[in-house]
Amino acid sequence: MFPKLKTNAVAQYPATKTIRYRTQALRFVDGAEQRYREWAGPLGRWTIRLGALDESEMAQVEAFMVEQQGRGGTFAFTDPWDGSVHANCSLAADELVLEWTGEMRGRTSVNVIENRS
Amino acid sequence: MLTYPQLSTGALAQFPVKKRRRSRTVVNAAADGSRVAYADPAGATIEWQLAYSDLSDAELAALQTFHATAEGSLNGFTFVDPTANLLAWSEDLSNPAWSRAPMLSATAGTDCWHLVNSGAAAQSISQTLSAPDSYVYCFSVWVRSDRPASVTLTIGGERATYAVGNSWTRIWLTRRGVTFGIELAAGAAVDVRGPQVEAQAAPSQYKTSTTGGVYENARLRDDAFCFTTTDLNRHSTTVNILYANHL
Repeated sequence: MFPKLKTNAVAQYPATKTIRYRTQALRFVDGAEQRYREWAGPLGRWTIRLGALDESEMAQVEAFMVEQQGRGGTFAFTDPWDGSVHANCSLAADELVLEWTGEMRGRTSVNVIENRS
Repeated sequence: MLTYPQLSTGALAQFPVKKRRRSRTVVNAAADGSRVAYADPAGATIEWQLAYSDLSDAELAALQTFHATAEGSLNGFTFVDPTANLLAWSEDLSNPAWSRAPMLSATAGTDCWHLVNSGAAAQSISQTLSAPDSYVYCFSVWVRSDRPASVTLTIGGERATYAVGNSWTRIWLTRRGVTFGIELAAGAAVDVRGPQVEAQAAPSQYKTSTTGGVYENARLRDDAFCFTTTDLNRHSTTVNILYANHL
């Protein structure tokens, strides 16, 4: 499960959500085209920017990245917009950058992608 | 092994500190949106960017000497993560990383561990780190007890005893040494949580830990050492350190 902050929230502002479809478009010489769904349905992607974390929350995010081994793992993610649980998600990148700018002032950013189950 | 120098305050770094964790994963993404991923733990790397300002002449000289001894990125050294709890398995006192005296029991409670010394002499639970013994370390832990008791913290051969009441109190000891122990007197029973070791003079907020934060065979990322003198006895520089599992 993706870690929650001390406030029990998953994300801080600004947070970004993307809903992705994949469509194959075939264009013909006469200008007509046919479109096909490549995916059975949409998949989500969330950018979680955490700009005001204390040391223990930073450690929690880092431990989660280590546990997931970057993109290698899967976990359940709760959509912060509607509270729906997406059971098959992964980290989108193999890299996590953590920055401590002062005492109890840390920041990081995590991208989560939903996988087709 | 060569060790990274502490500042005159006992700290290893100043704010801001940047840490970059990279892992290596082979991902086979299928056209339908499904994927198969294979993690490669041996390919993981960690990089720290330590920005220093207002360094004294002596502190700058220590960094320069260190850079010369390491010959830039050539030689490895032991690096202690300034952002981590150095203890391994800080939430699991039954893990073999901890060494427990035979008459001392440790049972897990709700968000804490219950330590009971049923022996006739003092008993302790401790952990030894493969960290530089020349550093100053701060060992801290939260303690409470239903009845008045005392707890002794030890770092190497140094020790200090603290009275424990029925509310949670954080106690800490700052000394040189690499074995960190919690000692209970005969018959004592104490709840503990959040043991933490940091290479600095005072404790920061508690961080959970499983792997600890001591990295042997870390390297300087750069062969060049560049610094700026901003005033008399005032210098600034940035040091990049790299640790790779596979090196």
